Amino acid sequence: MNSIDASLLIWLNSLSGHIKILDDLMRLIASDYLMPLVFSLSMFWLWFSGKTPSQRMTYQLTALTGISALAISNVVVWIINSLWNRPRPFLDHPDELNLLFYSPTDPSFPANPIAIGFAVAMAAWTVNRKFGLWLAMTASLYGFSRVYVGVFYPTDIVGGALVGMAVYGFTSYLRRALEPLITMVVRFARGFSVA
Amino acid sequence: MIANPSDVRNLFESHYFLFAFLSSLGTLQIAVTGSGIRALWLTPYRRVTRWLGFVCIITGVLFFFGQPLFIDGPWAAGSVQADSTTREWGVASWDELAGARNVNDIHGGLDGVDQAIWFSLAAIFAFAVSVVFGALSIKANTKELRVDAKLDDDDIDGLAGLVHRSYFSNLPISVRNFRLEARKFWRDGVRSADRWSLIKIISGGSNQ
Repeated sequence: MNSIDASLLIWLNSLSGHIKILDDLMRLIASDYLMPLVFSLSMFWLWFSGKTPSQRMTYQLTALTGISALAISNVVVWIINSLWNRPRPFLDHPDELNLLFYSPTDPSFPANPIAIGFAVAMAAWTVNRKFGLWLAMTASLYGFSRVYVGVFYPTDIVGGALVGMAVYGFTSYLRRALEPLITMVVRFARGFSVA
Repeated sequence: MIANPSDVRNLFESHYFLFAFLSSLGTLQIAVTGSGIRALWLTPYRRVTRWLGFVCIITGVLFFFGQPLFIDGPWAAGSVQADSTTREWGVASWDELAGARNVNDIHGGLDGVDQAIWFSLAAIFAFAVSVVFGALSIKANTKELRVDAKLDDDDIDGLAGLVHRSYFSNLPISVRNFRLEARKFWRDGVRSADRWSLIKIISGGSNQ
């Protein structure tokens, strides 16, 4: 399994170094700032985009759940990281990889940025299939770019996606367990005209 | 020269805040023009406001990722190298631009918590700016408002109220409604919560 993972990574990374514009595009997409902001903005958009009061309430509860899932994903990834310190691929295969990114110092599995991307995509998918699919594709592209620049194994990306989706599922149940507290948070925000 | 992480962080914080603010403002404008919340529009016109939203987002991205071309930072001569500590302080060239912002958080880049804090502040600021401009655009659009005034109802509050009134007129109505109805919301919420609700289980007998 590990050798298939490494072979796939080396093959995907070997695509780099040939077309400069593609390398630059992947560096930009793999940035720590662009895609995480897209995921946050998608929840921000969801909060304000409901057209009727009931749709607005549904969207806002989903946005709250999505944001909570995003935060909980970070904690879950941190726990997994403390249990299993998988070295980054550029440490395992220094001569076979063309590193296009800085060298992260945290463990490789699971991919934290992909976990948050899929947690948010799942949240969006529950209220709008097209929007959720679009976000899942964005998160997948983010994952691909991270493999392309040589900082994650493909299984880290898959692991991150699974963590994100599982955490969203857990957060949905958590929301139901905490009702009507969560709805009251939205009602409270409505008292300040922000919901 | 090896960059000092705190200098790098200061630079990243201010740039990221502006990036997040412009992107949030743009996203908010696109969302509220779609949902008709006129009291948050930057201009009285839907189409202009929507386009302004797209312009804000594009400007934010271009500003953040293009800034290394003009501002000194830890991006010169090294964006293609792996180690962000060995970079020189200066402006980036076009060749290095794509990777210029890829700086590790231990070397001064922003980690997830920093980004969450700055994004939240930027989103609140974007909302505040929209409230002020929205109040002005509602005032400018008086003819349309007069028609809406007939439909106006004190039961409509929160964002729904912002379709008809400015934030400043809507706020007292929203606060009053919340204070009057908070208990009822809670009781109804407990009653309608499903069997997973711990609060319903703890409060017991709420179905009666």
